[in-house]
Amino acid sequence: MSDLDKWIAALRACRTIPEASVRELCYKARELLIEEGNVVQVDAPVTICGDIHGQFHDLMELFRVGGDVPDTNYLFMGDFVDRGFYSLESFLLLLCLKVRYPDRITLIRGNHESRQITTVYGFYDECLRKYGSANVWRYCCDVFDYLALGALVLGTSSTLEPSPLEPGSQSNMPPIDDSIEIEIMNSRNEITARFPRSRRRLYDHELTSSSPPNSPSQTQRTSTPSRTPGGGPPGTSATTSAPASPSGGAVLCVHGGLSPLIDSVDKIRLLDRKQEVPHEGAMCDLLWSDPDDIDGWGLSPRGAGFLFGADIVKRFNHMNDLSLIARAHQLVMEGFKEMFDSSIVTVWSAPNYCYRCGNVAAILELGEDLTGGGVVGRSNGDLGRARGKEEVVLREGEVRSGPGRRYRVFEAAPQDSRGMPAKKPVADYFL
Amino acid sequence: MSAPQIPNLKTFRGPHGSRMQRRGLPVATEEEKTSKDKIIQATDQDASVSRLSAVEVGYLHDHFAKAFVVSESDRWTRRLPIINRGTYVRTTAIDELVHRFLSAEPIVKKQIISLGAGSDTRFFRLRGSGSDFSDSIIYHELDFAANTSTKISTLVQTESISQCVPGPLEISSDGSKLHSPMYHIHPVDLRSPFPTEDPMNPYAKPVPLDHVDVTLPTLLISECCLVYLEAAVAEAVLDYFASLFPSGTSLGLVLYEPINPFDSFGKMMVSNLAARGIVLQTLQAYHSLEVQKNRLRKHGFIGAAAEDVDFLWENWISAKEKERVATLEMVDEVEEWKLLAQHYCIAWGWRGKEDAVWKFWQGINDRKNPALLDQPVHERVP
Repeated sequence: MSDLDKWIAALRACRTIPEASVRELCYKARELLIEEGNVVQVDAPVTICGDIHGQFHDLMELFRVGGDVPDTNYLFMGDFVDRGFYSLESFLLLLCLKVRYPDRITLIRGNHESRQITTVYGFYDECLRKYGSANVWRYCCDVFDYLALGALVLGTSSTLEPSPLEPGSQSNMPPIDDSIEIEIMNSRNEITARFPRSRRRLYDHELTSSSPPNSPSQTQRTSTPSRTPGGGPPGTSATTSAPASPSGGAVLCVHGGLSPLIDSVDKIRLLDRKQEVPHEGAMCDLLWSDPDDIDGWGLSPRGAGFLFGADIVKRFNHMNDLSLIARAHQLVMEGFKEMFDSSIVTVWSAPNYCYRCGNVAAILELGEDLTGGGVVGRSNGDLGRARGKEEVVLREGEVRSGPGRRYRVFEAAPQDSRGMPAKKPVADYFL
Repeated sequence: MSAPQIPNLKTFRGPHGSRMQRRGLPVATEEEKTSKDKIIQATDQDASVSRLSAVEVGYLHDHFAKAFVVSESDRWTRRLPIINRGTYVRTTAIDELVHRFLSAEPIVKKQIISLGAGSDTRFFRLRGSGSDFSDSIIYHELDFAANTSTKISTLVQTESISQCVPGPLEISSDGSKLHSPMYHIHPVDLRSPFPTEDPMNPYAKPVPLDHVDVTLPTLLISECCLVYLEAAVAEAVLDYFASLFPSGTSLGLVLYEPINPFDSFGKMMVSNLAARGIVLQTLQAYHSLEVQKNRLRKHGFIGAAAEDVDFLWENWISAKEKERVATLEMVDEVEEWKLLAQHYCIAWGWRGKEDAVWKFWQGINDRKNPALLDQPVHERVP
């Protein structure tokens, strides 16, 4: 058994590894990450995950629900550390898996992968407590500086294949067909909801795991804003954006969101990322910004990054030939939330966040386009994917056809799986 | 980051885990009752640690806070930013209500009665503020004898605090009771019956605690206190005070309590606190802003208002103050802040609605009313 496999075995059991091993691991990881661009290209199929925040046992639950590495390809959108009690074990395990299976797992940087933030939100204290010195924290922070800022998922399918995991009790639903755009499954591999592609014309603004499948009442309430001129009547899929090819288009993954200084994916590639997260500027914005129901740009209540509206997302997606932006960064009680006519989704993967919030978590599975028609012949995701500016004339409500999306929603790992006698985390309240 | 000390795990065992229960014996033993009381008494230390954290980071100005934190080391415990912000909003909003009460007719003597006051520093801060009302306050604090003894001994040993209390001080031989011309500490278990003219007659007229003057305009404060009592007991406490003061006396009440136990955050809050042995007994009964207001009206408070801490942060804290505290530390957890802050509220009610002492409470939520809101309390006073 190699050292790496030994470390993985220890970390999977939620045990720390010696300081010298951490140093070696971080060195190896840095060697690997230094070769990655600011925007990593990832091929579908891939499972996209949001914030983890040191909730190690819930990360194990995530792997149980989504499949283990290397059987499932993963893309983690940052915020591995802080807040939870096992930031070290969580981050080091992910890092080990990255070094062991570099093509199977992608890690991008979150705003908590920063020296300044980790001294306030717990990771620094945890390293000090577990190792007696700040060395391990320093090794980890050096790795943070090399993490990519984003990822571009290519070769997605516009349709959903049946869940690759064991069938469970899927018999409660008819077999999947091409019209299904979104499927929601619970942690027992049971389908809890499906949404056909035409759904988007029915009630489009927000979608979460608690949204009911389309029903007449929903149609009445929210059908106004994006009815495309020339689109089919509500309830049919006869719309202008019906999928023309089996490809689901490219998906940009980033921890926070967009930046007023960045109008193309190529501009992200030009940043010098190998540094502490700055307090302002494009790199800061990518890790700190949030979508919001505003027009254009707004000030963020977080004190870093910006708020951006639907118009910004739709324009950016159109110019960069993206069908979707996947991001994390914001707690969503239902685990995920699609906004702005499904042009952007927030994925949140820390259930019962901080052992206090009572939320569920989710991961997003994007399938592979097996027909080979949609993606080949297009740009490979490197420079020059953006459309020419003259093409950017967005018709109201026009949305590029998105990839088929399967959300797996899961709850916090049961107490007994934590294997800690009477170790109940203490969450702060006002007493 | 977490609680200052790991509580004794044995105290986590509710009545269900106890041996006595398994043998089918009646509910809690004396020992268990005492240990439950200790947990509730210890919530005061938790609040003191939170207050010191908010002071040290710079949210609040309170140089009395440090003396009341029992700490083995000199190092204070830094709370998470959203806890600091919550402590700040809670303290500032109650200060706002208290200052508005005292500032109306500032030279008229007024009385404040703080239930479960623990190591609260408000009296010392008011005394040290040098405001024109600083000499017209009569302040009463009620708490378990265990907490009042600690407070009195800290007060006696800390010069900066005892300076704020005009003498002569009269301290009981067991050290749990203090009387002075302006400041009184009463060792009271709120669950025990309050004094009446005839202890044998349940309908007898209530009589005041020592040195409580039922003719003075009076403000009652319960900062996370009544919520730990059984709902019927909490009601009895409010009934006692509501009937103690004659209808001609201006009486106000400020409550700070958790709300919204039924959503998923609220359920988790209830179960996390229960795991620490802390049961929020009236939370189900007074679960929303609306119910809190009705509760106040039921006790005869003609004016009744309630807002959650999220609202108070957004509306009572000025833009200038928000800007100032934003520079103290980064608050990244915006969604979590909203969740947490929507689960705590301040409710305030008053009777004798037209009385001049409440004139600054009227329209407090009206942003067009310049009154006192534009300047934070601790900046208003030198």
